Amino acid sequence: METTMTETRIDRGSTDTTTIYSEGGDLVFERTFDAPREQVWKAFMDPDLVPRWWGPHGTTTRVAEMDVRPGGKWRYVSSAPDRDDVTFYGEYLEIDPPASFRWTFMFDVEGLGPQGGPETFRFEDLDGRTKITSIGHMGSAEAIEGALASGMIAGAIGTWDRLEALLTEG
Amino acid sequence: MDTQEDALSQTFAALADPTRRAILARLAHGEASVKELAAPFDMTQPAISKHLRVLEQAGLIEQGRQAQWRPRRLRAGPLRDISEWVNQYRRHWEESFERLDSYLRELNDRQEQGNGDDDDRDPNRPR
Repeated sequence: METTMTETRIDRGSTDTTTIYSEGGDLVFERTFDAPREQVWKAFMDPDLVPRWWGPHGTTTRVAEMDVRPGGKWRYVSSAPDRDDVTFYGEYLEIDPPASFRWTFMFDVEGLGPQGGPETFRFEDLDGRTKITSIGHMGSAEAIEGALASGMIAGAIGTWDRLEALLTEG
Repeated sequence: MDTQEDALSQTFAALADPTRRAILARLAHGEASVKELAAPFDMTQPAISKHLRVLEQAGLIEQGRQAQWRPRRLRAGPLRDISEWVNQYRRHWEESFERLDSYLRELNDRQEQGNGDDDDRDPNRPR
C-alpha cells in the first residue's frame, strides 16, 4: 500500500474494485486480482488468452498480431454488434516478465485520427495476489482535465448521459 | 492528420482555463449574452470577450445572429470528439479488468475442482 499521495493525484471516478486517478498527464488504473503474478502475466501475453478478457463487456476480440519483444508489433480487432470493428494496435517498448511491460496503445477515432500513447503495466506480487497498475500517458494534465471537463459539460447538455453517470458515480 | 491534432490541442488549451470551463458550463444551460456571462466573474467585459474569442476559435461556442446582443451558445461537436476517446479508453480498461478478474476466478475454480481429490495442486510437480 502506498501511503504517500502527491498533490496532483486527482480521483477520476474510482469504483469498489478499481482505483482510477490522473496524475499529471497520466491516467492510472489500479486493481488487485486474486491470482498469482505468472498467471496474470500469461493472460496478457498469451494470444489464446487475450480474447478471454480483452475489451468492454459485449465485445469480442481477435488477436491479429502479437510479436512480444521490444520493437515487435501488436494488433487486436474488437467487434461488437452495435458498431464497426475497432482496431487497437501499437508496439512493445520494454518487457520485463512478469513484473512490467510498456507498449504503445493506439486506436483510430473517426474524425480525429490515431489516439492514445505509451502505456505502462506493472504487476506486483502481493502474497499470491497480483496488483496491476496501468498507466496511460495521455499527454498533458490539460489534455485529461480538458477531456473530462468537456465530458461533464457534454453530459450537462444531455447528449452524453452515460459519460455523465460515469463521471459522477463514486 | 496534423490539422486534426492542431484542432485537438486548441480545444484542450481552450478547456485548460477554469474561467472558460465555467463559461461553457453556464452555456450548457442555454445561450447567454456577454454581459450575462461576465456577471458571475470579477472581470471586465473585454476580459470575458477575450475568453469567448478563444472558445470560439476552438469551435466550442458560436455567436447567434440577433443583431443587438449576439448571444453565445455551445457547439457540442468538438466536446463530443475529445471526451469520447478518453471515455472509451476509461471504459476499455475498467471493463477489461472486470472481465480479467472473472476469467482468473474461473481458472482458479477449475483448478481447485480438478484437483479436488489430490493434495498436490500442480499435476506437473515431481513427487
